[in-house]
Amino acid sequence: MATITAPTTAARADARASRGLWRDAFRRLMRNGPALVGLVLIAVFIITAILAPFIAPYGPLEGSLADRLQPPSAVHLMGTDLQGRDEFSRILYGAQVSLFVGVFSVIMGVTMGGILGATAGATGGRVDNILMRVVDVMLAVPGILLAIGIVAWLGRGLPQIMLAVAATNAPIFARILRGSLLANREVDYVNASRSIGAGRMRILMRHMLPNSLTALIVAATLALATAIIDVAGLGFLGLGPPDPRTPEWGTMLTDATKFLRQAPYLILFPGLAIVISAIGFNLLGDGLRESLDPRLKR
Amino acid sequence: MAKYIVRRLLGAIPVLFGLSIILFAFIHMLPGDPAAALLGQHATPELTAQIREQLGLDKPLWQQYINYLGQLLQGDLGKSIINNRPIIDEFLIRFPGTIELTIGALIFAVGLGIPLGRFAARHVQGAGDGMVTVISLLGVSIPIFVLGLTLQYIFAVQLRILPTSGRLDPRIQLEYQTNFVLIDTLLAGDLGAFVDGIRHLILPAIALGSIPLAIITRITRASVLDVTNEDYVRTARAKGLTERRVDGRHIMRNAWLPVVTVIGLQVGGLLAGAVITETIFSWNGVGRWTVEAIQDHDYFVVQSTILIFAVIFLIVNLIVDIGYAFLNPRIRYA
Amino acid sequence: MVKHRLLAAGAVMAIVVAACSQGASPSPSAEPATQAPATQAPATGAPSATAAPSETAAAGTPKDGGTLIVGLPGDMVLADPTLVSDSNSSYIQQNVIQGLVGLKPGTMDTLIPVLAESLPTVSSDGLTYTFKLRQGIMFHDGTPLDAAAVVYNYERQKNAPEALRDAYNYYFGAVFGWADKSNLKSITAPDASTVVMTLGTPQSTFLLSQTLPQFGIQSPTALKAGDADNPDPSKSPYAQGQGGTGKSMVGTGPFMYKEWVPNDHVTIVKNPSYWDAAGVAHLDAITYKPYADQTAELNALQAGDIDFAQTIAPNDVATVQGDPNLQVIDRGASCNIGNLEMNLTYKPLDNLQIRQAIAYALNKQSYIDAFYSGQAVPADNYMPPGLAYYKPLGLPTYDPQKAKDLIAASGVPADQLKLTFYYPSDVARPYMPDPKGLAEAIARDLEAVGFTVEFKTEGWRTGYLADEAVGKFPMWLLGWTCDWSAPDNFLITAFFHFQGDKPNPEFAYGPPALKTAFDSAMAATTDAAAATAWGQAQDILAADLPFVPLVSSKPPAAAKADVKGFVGAGNLEELMNSVWLDR
Repeated sequence: MATITAPTTAARADARASRGLWRDAFRRLMRNGPALVGLVLIAVFIITAILAPFIAPYGPLEGSLADRLQPPSAVHLMGTDLQGRDEFSRILYGAQVSLFVGVFSVIMGVTMGGILGATAGATGGRVDNILMRVVDVMLAVPGILLAIGIVAWLGRGLPQIMLAVAATNAPIFARILRGSLLANREVDYVNASRSIGAGRMRILMRHMLPNSLTALIVAATLALATAIIDVAGLGFLGLGPPDPRTPEWGTMLTDATKFLRQAPYLILFPGLAIVISAIGFNLLGDGLRESLDPRLKR
Repeated sequence: MAKYIVRRLLGAIPVLFGLSIILFAFIHMLPGDPAAALLGQHATPELTAQIREQLGLDKPLWQQYINYLGQLLQGDLGKSIINNRPIIDEFLIRFPGTIELTIGALIFAVGLGIPLGRFAARHVQGAGDGMVTVISLLGVSIPIFVLGLTLQYIFAVQLRILPTSGRLDPRIQLEYQTNFVLIDTLLAGDLGAFVDGIRHLILPAIALGSIPLAIITRITRASVLDVTNEDYVRTARAKGLTERRVDGRHIMRNAWLPVVTVIGLQVGGLLAGAVITETIFSWNGVGRWTVEAIQDHDYFVVQSTILIFAVIFLIVNLIVDIGYAFLNPRIRYA
Repeated sequence: MVKHRLLAAGAVMAIVVAACSQGASPSPSAEPATQAPATQAPATGAPSATAAPSETAAAGTPKDGGTLIVGLPGDMVLADPTLVSDSNSSYIQQNVIQGLVGLKPGTMDTLIPVLAESLPTVSSDGLTYTFKLRQGIMFHDGTPLDAAAVVYNYERQKNAPEALRDAYNYYFGAVFGWADKSNLKSITAPDASTVVMTLGTPQSTFLLSQTLPQFGIQSPTALKAGDADNPDPSKSPYAQGQGGTGKSMVGTGPFMYKEWVPNDHVTIVKNPSYWDAAGVAHLDAITYKPYADQTAELNALQAGDIDFAQTIAPNDVATVQGDPNLQVIDRGASCNIGNLEMNLTYKPLDNLQIRQAIAYALNKQSYIDAFYSGQAVPADNYMPPGLAYYKPLGLPTYDPQKAKDLIAASGVPADQLKLTFYYPSDVARPYMPDPKGLAEAIARDLEAVGFTVEFKTEGWRTGYLADEAVGKFPMWLLGWTCDWSAPDNFLITAFFHFQGDKPNPEFAYGPPALKTAFDSAMAATTDAAAATAWGQAQDILAADLPFVPLVSSKPPAAAKADVKGFVGAGNLEELMNSVWLDR
């Protein structure tokens, strides 16, 4: 399919334009202050996740009941939790879990929504109609209820949680991709390639999809923020990872709500971790949107 | 216009029908058993089987679905498995709670979001704009339960200036008619009770309204900026119209469009957020009921409440689309 | 919230056993006054001034008036106590609906007559109980209480429609059974103030269970008018609490039903013409509010939205103690037990030395300090201390070295020391206020001696109880709160009941000798015989260690400092007519 022996003029021009689009976008992004802040926050978040075993002063499971609920001190920077474990170390390890769950749930959501949206947008007609009604049905159910239902159905576990969060995002991705595919269908360069006899699949893969991806990328970045919040929300409703020892921010925060009065810092730190990483993804997402779509920039 | 509405309403029917089938299938795939949930620690396999039979759960699935659909078409939502009360009775008590909460949140979000957005647009790139941007960023980044618990802790537990939970002080004797606390207190002519109802609404409405607030603020800011640069606004200014008049007649009228759309889109999010907000504030609404029902495998309650959520969602979207067309006559009902 | 067995009634086995053997009136050993039934001072359902250990400070003269707002863990389920078996409904209804006998306030084991003027006389074969009713008692709808009304109430349950049995009417089935199969052979009214009950076989727990609100007497007129026996309770105005005072929940108690707004509140009001002048309520009304979340409930208490929280989380005790406007109420003796339960069909749990090693590995006291705020005692038996025939069993206590030695001695290779451990994800029970935290701490202790733990979890009602009951769990957290405070309710009902001759699938444990001991304990007609049989049963359990009991807890209540006169009891049989507000 993709043997590009003799690229047509239109396609070559388009590819160049596309490369230019990305380069311009990157340049714009680098000039966007808030987006840079977001990028830094995310970088810190990712580095923390990777280096957690090396920088954490304690193991995520280390501690004893005798040391429980100690306030922050030089020994335990963020105090100790209900089981006497070092909260700071658990926050660091928690970055691994949140990053993993967030990224994978969004990848799953984008894949599911992408297939749905691409099929609908590319084929049109009756298939489009039916698929979009399915999307309507999914959107009509409040996301958190859908997620609760999926976890109730498939049981507790990180993969199930990822799937649940992915399923709440998938219809949104499907709609976005389909919408921008439809918008791209009639633009000049697509018409141009069609007029010179490019195949339907080729047009889709080489022209329409790449140009529709920008919206999806922005949506996916923003969805990372909501994914982290949604995972925490499931934890809040008692549907976190089955091994209670897992250092997951949402579950850590939820467990601590019972000790709000004795140890407010146990809410503060995981709460901050969630909010800060969500801010990072939100800033970057906004920045991406603005740089990828210059018309939005002001 | 009428034709358009009818067509949209007809279009909703297959969606609802599909949803009812998916819901039904899904809910019966859930592991566990409502009969076991009903019996709790008293459950034995014999008792469980007996109760499954009484509830009709031993019949084939398709037969159960047909029965359910038949009931539904007759307007009968069925009964709760757990407490055996007709779902419609409980619904009529709980639904007004969710509506009151959602409207409260919307009023908070719209009432604050639009002025904030306009303010930010007028002072674009200034310190005020930065503040507003930070507020709206926090709004979408703080989970409802973090915000809700924090508000509850600060204002109800520590400062004790607002009640922690519930919809009305239980000491107030109120004759319930509509089950909308704010309406019933007014019907009873009890102004004190009305104020108490408002006080109970404040914290949950803020917690629930924070995300829409952030989004509405952003959209208002963006669309005001959009319109401000349009030719007709410049023309209006050039004609020497006062800023106020430009703002009211030219900018806002056109900036409303995307704002209205977003408000409509937020309703789905609000209903979802209500699930968590109602849990935090012991708010007697449909969201909390649904979560409990999922936990209890109360099949009929889950089916009914989610269907109703879906109907609301579809209706609101329809209203938004109609409002959209109304605000912008250029849009044809294609 | 979560439906579970009633935290309810009880009495010492000795009562009935002694009664049967002597053919005289049952005589609770702790209460000599009741040995002279006809002449005793009015034994009322109301607490006297005698201070139980758990009574709130009753300084000063009680003041009348005011509304008490009570926070409960969940809503009332139905307004007819015979159709419910949850603790929330009973906690409300016991103030409105009374039975023939009750428990002395503040105790779990001392029977007193309530609607009967004295404890019943019992025939020498232990089968016929004769109750004399008090005169002149009126139901809240103005109709008189007489022997016919009592008979009507019992007959109504005995012949309950099929659809109401099991699903709703748990206790009658558990105590007697229905219709022809009922152990309640007959109940008759030879005259207007005499009720005679005849049992098929002697039943040691019979009289104790009759203190439950499920066996309370309600107005036949109101029951009939409200269609209370409709096989579909959703269509019964009575069960749905419609119509207010005199239409639903119509009993004889110190409070009368007023209204129920489901999931919002239940209100009961003072019965000004209560039959026992000494027990007339001080409060004008009580409103009960459900709080699914204990944090929300404590917030409400601190903010002044409620006056009284029926139970608070142990970790909130310090907060309440530190608040000068609030008080913690200790309920005295425990009537529950929390366990690390096991199913012996799973390896390596079938190995006694492994089970003993697990028991030695657990630091129970550290769990009590961390998760029960010290409001619990380490368990040394399969029932709480303080029950009749309880004896300390000398079960293993914390000794990690001994645990390692036992593992080595068991010969189980290291790679088979893997334990699959279930805990419930979404529930707090008095005997395990924080199942997740407790499970984590237990896992850490087990891994310290060489086990590896794999966690699994399910929702309490979405599978946990159901899967546990059929034996799907190898090792799990669970416990029991008493229905009645007697050994059989723990050792047999809750844990080691047999299905025919076979052990139940939950634990897959039950040697024939244990069954023999249970059977002779239940059929014992003398105190000595019962003591011997229960002793044997406990010795077998101590030797076999089928699972590891952890703690018996004392769930505390909390109230505003100005709530006075409350008398608590470990089984939550607590009446509110003695409560008054000092404001």
